[in-house]
Amino acid sequence: MSYVFQFSTVWREFDHLLLGAWLTLRLSALAMIFGLAVGIAGAQAKASSSRLLRGLVQGYIEAIRNTPFLVQLLLIYLGLPSLGLRLTPDQAALLAMVVNLGAYATEIVRAGIEAVPKGQIEAGRALGLKPWQIFRFIVLMPALRTVFPALGSQFILVMLASSVVSVISAEELTAVTDTIVARNFRSFEFYFVITGIYLVMSLAFQALFAGIDRALFARWADHA
Amino acid sequence: MRDRMGRLLGFAVALLASIAITAIPYRASAQTVDDIIKKGKVVIGVNTTTPIFGLMGKDGQPEGYDPDVARLVGKYMGVPVEFVSVTGANRIPYLLSGQIDMVIALFGITPERALQVSFSIPYAVEAATLVGPASRQVKTIDDLKGLRVGVPRGAMQDLILTPIAQEKGINLMRFDDEATDLQALISGQTDLAGTGLLVNRTLNRNDPGKDYQVKLVLRELHFGIGVRRGSTDLLQWLNTFIYTIKNDGELDAISRKWRELPLENLPVF
Repeated sequence: MSYVFQFSTVWREFDHLLLGAWLTLRLSALAMIFGLAVGIAGAQAKASSSRLLRGLVQGYIEAIRNTPFLVQLLLIYLGLPSLGLRLTPDQAALLAMVVNLGAYATEIVRAGIEAVPKGQIEAGRALGLKPWQIFRFIVLMPALRTVFPALGSQFILVMLASSVVSVISAEELTAVTDTIVARNFRSFEFYFVITGIYLVMSLAFQALFAGIDRALFARWADHA
Repeated sequence: MRDRMGRLLGFAVALLASIAITAIPYRASAQTVDDIIKKGKVVIGVNTTTPIFGLMGKDGQPEGYDPDVARLVGKYMGVPVEFVSVTGANRIPYLLSGQIDMVIALFGITPERALQVSFSIPYAVEAATLVGPASRQVKTIDDLKGLRVGVPRGAMQDLILTPIAQEKGINLMRFDDEATDLQALISGQTDLAGTGLLVNRTLNRNDPGKDYQVKLVLRELHFGIGVRRGSTDLLQWLNTFIYTIKNDGELDAISRKWRELPLENLPVF
């Protein structure tokens, strides 16, 4: 007796899958925004004159980049309560993704900042720009433009990593699918379809990033 | 433009190839006892994340009620046992895809599951319960209103509570396995955890002071050995095997060793 594919079961549950996809998109988008903020702050901290601050940030980066995301997630959700901080699954999932993305984003943004020619910063000072103006217009925007592709890929990786948060009962596309499959046992049909959905979401984000790149960074195109 | 076409084509080929590859091994057929004996080993899926019924031992081998029954299967079939760790969510896919020959993993007998697999006669009795600390006052399902109830995904508690969770106001949280489910209870992330009849003993050993008790018995369950549908020869052998170990005291010994209880009278069908 061989297996009979039943894709009709997937179409019946498609509204649940769409809900799951929406949860993934929302979680990922929030993680990307906050993760980028952490990355920019971290890159700034790494350029600071305080050895302590640089060391702390480096420690954070090494801890995150050399440990599995799943372990970080379980530590935040199951471990933090022992220290008094109890987060809901959705909060823990978002925090874990932000902390994870922040570490990688720090390194990426730092590389972008270092790529800004020093002459530009000196020119900014010569023109009498304040430090925050120098940072925002001369350093940050060109830096982000330079590393935008790398940031974009890291963002997509974090979105794909979100599929793991079902382990702490946070709901997103994979979790919703696991629950459906636990009832009707149609693993192949469902996981095949959500592979396609993740693919579509990934391509959609890439298109979004390309659009942002064009809209935001056209002003900072190299004229050299 | 050509580069894009090339990439798209390459991607399409990769996709079709991966479909082709995943489609082939999925068609696993019915088995006979002779198939297994000819293979030289019996591959059995067991749970290794549930106290009493299946945990990973210190020596890296599964230990518990189910692994001991699995070892008896190997002994009476005359072949060595190869253990594969399975969870509530993947045990049926593993069985249907041929990665394992049978499931001995807290496999509760239900007609929905029987649409996908064939069950042997029961070899164990358990119950789907909700467990919580003594301080939590819960007597009926209505008392669950507003509480965070953790359950293993796809387990009996999930199947029973999910349809009524919304109307009863239960905050149902689905974890991938029972171990994480119990961890969430211990760390205070949930108020109640879906588990079995005897797990509170283990909880009280690991987290003394809270006096974990069974708060609600959702349904009494019997566990059966799962095999692929159509494997009537294998099923008949397994039923003969279970009848034998029930009568000669081996199953009672396993029950006393792991559940610290004598074997109850198990129904047959």
